[in-house]
Amino acid sequence: MPPCAKDAICRMIVCRNISKTYTHGGRKKVVLKDVSFTIGRGERVALLGCNGAGKTTLIKIIGGVEMPTSGKIERHMSVSWPLGFSGGFQGSLTGLDNAKFIARIYGQDYDEVRSFVEDFTELGGHLKLPVRTYSSGMRARLAFALSLAIEFDCYLIDEIILVGDQNFQRKCHKELFENRKDRSIVLALHNNDFIKEYCSSGIVLHNTGLHLYRDINKAIEYYDDISLKVSV
Amino acid sequence: MVHSDLRKLIAGWRIQVRVIHALMIREINTRYGRQNIGFLWIMVEPILFAGLVAAIWRLWKGPEEHGISIIAFVVTGYIPITLFRHCVARSAAIFTANSSLMYHQQVKIIDFIFVRFIIELLGSMMAYIFIAGVLISLDLFPIPKDMGLFIAGWINYAIFSLAICFIIAPLSEVSEVIEKLIPVTTYIMIPFSGLFTMLSWMTPSSREYLLWSPFVNAMEMMRKGIWGDDVTAYYYAWNPIAFSLITTLIGLALCRHVRRTLSVE
Repeated sequence: MPPCAKDAICRMIVCRNISKTYTHGGRKKVVLKDVSFTIGRGERVALLGCNGAGKTTLIKIIGGVEMPTSGKIERHMSVSWPLGFSGGFQGSLTGLDNAKFIARIYGQDYDEVRSFVEDFTELGGHLKLPVRTYSSGMRARLAFALSLAIEFDCYLIDEIILVGDQNFQRKCHKELFENRKDRSIVLALHNNDFIKEYCSSGIVLHNTGLHLYRDINKAIEYYDDISLKVSV
Repeated sequence: MVHSDLRKLIAGWRIQVRVIHALMIREINTRYGRQNIGFLWIMVEPILFAGLVAAIWRLWKGPEEHGISIIAFVVTGYIPITLFRHCVARSAAIFTANSSLMYHQQVKIIDFIFVRFIIELLGSMMAYIFIAGVLISLDLFPIPKDMGLFIAGWINYAIFSLAICFIIAPLSEVSEVIEKLIPVTTYIMIPFSGLFTMLSWMTPSSREYLLWSPFVNAMEMMRKGIWGDDVTAYYYAWNPIAFSLITTLIGLALCRHVRRTLSVE
């Protein structure tokens, strides 16, 4: 590997010829077939696709939670775990124990992480209860707070931002879109207005294929087009 | 090039040490909680198992067999086999059980196996030291004649147990049948584990077959280390090492394969 200087590729996520097939009980389901794309530093990518088109699968592959059946993915920046309703936590442990665990594996100071999490989530005494007793909104808050406390170059977000009350949404927007303008974001979401406002490019998943548009409006146009065909 | 690779290796090593440390604390917390004696529970089961079986044997067979203390003999057999059986039982479906942690890239599936193995190893070693200490003070257990040989045997036994876990863990994810067969298999293998007998008590022909078993070789080493010239032992020290190496290589390849196809909720 050459030393990373200003070379653009060194600050990107590069996915080459990714395929993913799930096999269960002898039945195969192809989710992604030979897709390639890059995500640049500071780029905000919306993931568009109908239910079951593979948005969550793609996010999991980018985040290294699942491996592609074939193809290669290179991450030249730190990538968060997929922030969603599930995953990343141990349900039988308390919110604070989970925070402690995550601080440990990412090599962060627990006291700093803890005070940020307490402040950001406003969960108060709930943090001392097992995570399995949390509502999905509370889990989302915890996941979000932890990923912000650890600081990643790229955030993977799966339908999570619109969860929670107005106050929490405002906080998220401030932390993510104002204080961390320079970070990359991959966002799987159905809300077009939101996408138009915050994302710069779009990836549309359709029939195991992938279309990347560097212009978000074109991506939405194409997505509306195909979803219209599906509904007709 | 070599330099940066080495640096990467060191960085990776540091991360894995951090992850294993965090996973161990998490495992101990979830398994034993913070109430009463907490993590000391890890040594209770081996102590009870070895202690009670030794007491039964003592009542059933008298104080000595082949000139050595029955209680000590049973303890030296049961503590290692408890280590092995617990390790294997804990490796079944280990990846599915921990799948929520795979959301974090630096957590590797091998870490789960290491963590559970280390916890079992610590538990059985603490149990061994405790029980031997009590028995030595009661004059029911000899002071080890050759500590080095004993430790070498113990390491051989433990490494082979770990190597088996590397195979069981991925196989149990692939096939539920294998998961169901584990308890009966570990039970059936008891006669081939050197638990009840020393090779010198057996006929030369059966001895030859049993010398293929890594467990028997390691067990003979441990017992020779404890009793020294009071017993005759037969063993090849390389046997468990060679078997462990082969088993580990196969196991790691299986783990790698399973990781690629693992679907995480």
